[in-house]
Amino acid sequence: MSAPARTARTAAPPLLRLGGAVALPVRPRPALLGLALLAGLAVASVLTLTVGRLGIPLAELPAALAGTADPQAAFVLERLRGPRLAVAVGAGFALGTAGALFQSVARNPLGSPDVIGVGAGAGAGAALFGLLLPGILPGPAGAVLGGAAAALLVYLATGTGFRDPGKLIIAGIGVAAMSTAFTHYVVYVVARDRASVLQAYLNGSLSARSWEHALTIGVALALLLPCAAALSTRMAIAEMGDDIADGLGARPRATRAWAVALSVALSAAAVAVAGPIAFIALTAPNIAKRLSGGHGAHAFTGGLTGALLLVLADIAAQHSPIGDRLPVGVFTMGIGGVYLGYLLVREWRKGAL
Amino acid sequence: MDAAATLPRGRGGVRRPGPARRALAAVGGAALLAAAVLASLVLGGRETGLGDLAGVLAGTADPYVATVIESRYPRTALAVAAGAALAVAGTLMQAITRNPLAEPGLLGINMGAAAAIVTGTAFLGLRGGTASVWLALPGAVAAGLLVYALGAAGARSGLVRLVLTGAVVSAVLSAYIQAVTLSLPESFDSYRYWVVGSLAGRDFGVLWSMLPFTLAGCLLAVLLAPALNALALGDEAAVSVGVNVPLVRGGGLIAATLLSAAATAAVGPIAFVGLAVPHIVRAVVGADLRAQIWYGLLAGPVLLLAADVIGRVVVRPQELMVGVVAAFAGAPVLLYAVRRTKEGM
Repeated sequence: MSAPARTARTAAPPLLRLGGAVALPVRPRPALLGLALLAGLAVASVLTLTVGRLGIPLAELPAALAGTADPQAAFVLERLRGPRLAVAVGAGFALGTAGALFQSVARNPLGSPDVIGVGAGAGAGAALFGLLLPGILPGPAGAVLGGAAAALLVYLATGTGFRDPGKLIIAGIGVAAMSTAFTHYVVYVVARDRASVLQAYLNGSLSARSWEHALTIGVALALLLPCAAALSTRMAIAEMGDDIADGLGARPRATRAWAVALSVALSAAAVAVAGPIAFIALTAPNIAKRLSGGHGAHAFTGGLTGALLLVLADIAAQHSPIGDRLPVGVFTMGIGGVYLGYLLVREWRKGAL
Repeated sequence: MDAAATLPRGRGGVRRPGPARRALAAVGGAALLAAAVLASLVLGGRETGLGDLAGVLAGTADPYVATVIESRYPRTALAVAAGAALAVAGTLMQAITRNPLAEPGLLGINMGAAAAIVTGTAFLGLRGGTASVWLALPGAVAAGLLVYALGAAGARSGLVRLVLTGAVVSAVLSAYIQAVTLSLPESFDSYRYWVVGSLAGRDFGVLWSMLPFTLAGCLLAVLLAPALNALALGDEAAVSVGVNVPLVRGGGLIAATLLSAAATAAVGPIAFVGLAVPHIVRAVVGADLRAQIWYGLLAGPVLLLAADVIGRVVVRPQELMVGVVAAFAGAPVLLYAVRRTKEGM
């Protein structure tokens, strides 16, 4: 599924020198892509803040950001759209990075932390603590606990930890099936209104987010992204195959285990603030990979793509003519499915599949 | 991505069990099925014994007891039919995709059935068990055929492509289901009762509406089994012994679609029966698909009945739905199997 033809062009990349001690290789295409994604994200953010009945007029936006605007604009920025946008960017970035790490490890473009049951486990946790045993833990904390428990169960069930992607995915199917069955059971036994609220949460929702949510995901990213960056070189080597990676001293099995653990932690953080949002972790790294046309984990560009996708999906969710305030997860699922279809059709045209 | 690489080698693939072992398995399977049927008839929220059952059959029992036991006839019969359908569908899917993890859900069948039920209850105002079946069946078949048409069209059709198409169609249908159910509470209500997977409250009408499809699918499976055996050797080998590969594969997929559509329409999406039964059967009777299908017809009902009976007994006087029990009984088996396989599968 890869494109080995590109490896022919392996001239040394230009270096970005910071004094005499630091020399970072600059690969032009990923760097340009990163800038383009950042620009897109900025445009989408401005759109989020300005569009719609409650939107802040574009002319007033600088004043609002500086804190000198009229109270209505300040209210929209500080209470309604601002935190929502921040959570969307943070959760999207976390999901995109998580998916990029996982796909690199699984060597499979269809891998994502959801495959090993993190999303389903989070749903079961939210159902248990939100509806069946209310009052012990808040729902989002229950979701994180559920997601972590699912990942732990998968870790224990494989007998080899996170080292073997094949086993990981199969064990994930089993754990996800149990979690989903439990969630369906809870949705079945509780009253309809409460079940409906849970159902909306299970799709992943960005409505009524506060700055605390934004802070949560921000802290999680600040802790986890440096780890991902530290791991990325080794992961690029591990993608070459176990034998070569062993020879180069990259310890591929340990690298994979760490990458999966990071991926799970990142998606758990996203679940905590926005619920299990479908498909971002799956599609964002694929899009980033396609745009940058290279190999490697694409953790950073994948994260940016994820943030952009989630912000765009949230604009659609806020202003869609259909449905009454549908959760953003419904849109990511629909858009993600269609995109996956497009991807497949393209591959078929080329005869690659 | 190489489907052939995940084919289970060694265990079951090489060993050929003798006729004695197969006969023993047949007798044991039939005995288990009889025991499961009896258990399903006498165990439940209201305790009854085998004596009561005998009384009902002889027509001498207390009318109340008779009502209780007779109310368990339809769900028992339905469990047998749905279990058999799921088992054969799973066997076919695993043989055709040469992937031991293949399941009918991969073809988008569950989501097709669910989407049709949601559409029917939300926009057509339909209600009730039999209506669900008549909605779910065409939905499931349509989704399965759509996936097959998209995934297998063109010169270079492949199994990976088929499975990916199934994932795409499932995702889009799932988004549609969520959008509708979250907007319209009434359709959410009927959807959540169906999606959990339950045998309770089903009448014979549900059975009669799914039975023709089950029988047709089973017949097709039995007819295709020898050709599917050849297909297991690889496409080139199958062609060289005179098998029309696209025809056999297409027929097998249609049979699997019919079977799992019928079962899913009748009892909701049930996890793991279609996945687990082929593994159990393969371990006992070996890789020959002709045998696998016949023994699957015994093992599938046993498993589904056992899950249903357990669900009725563990939280008496309430009931756990059979879909929940199947997931919680099946998943640990899968996890155990994963643990035992060698690294780098």
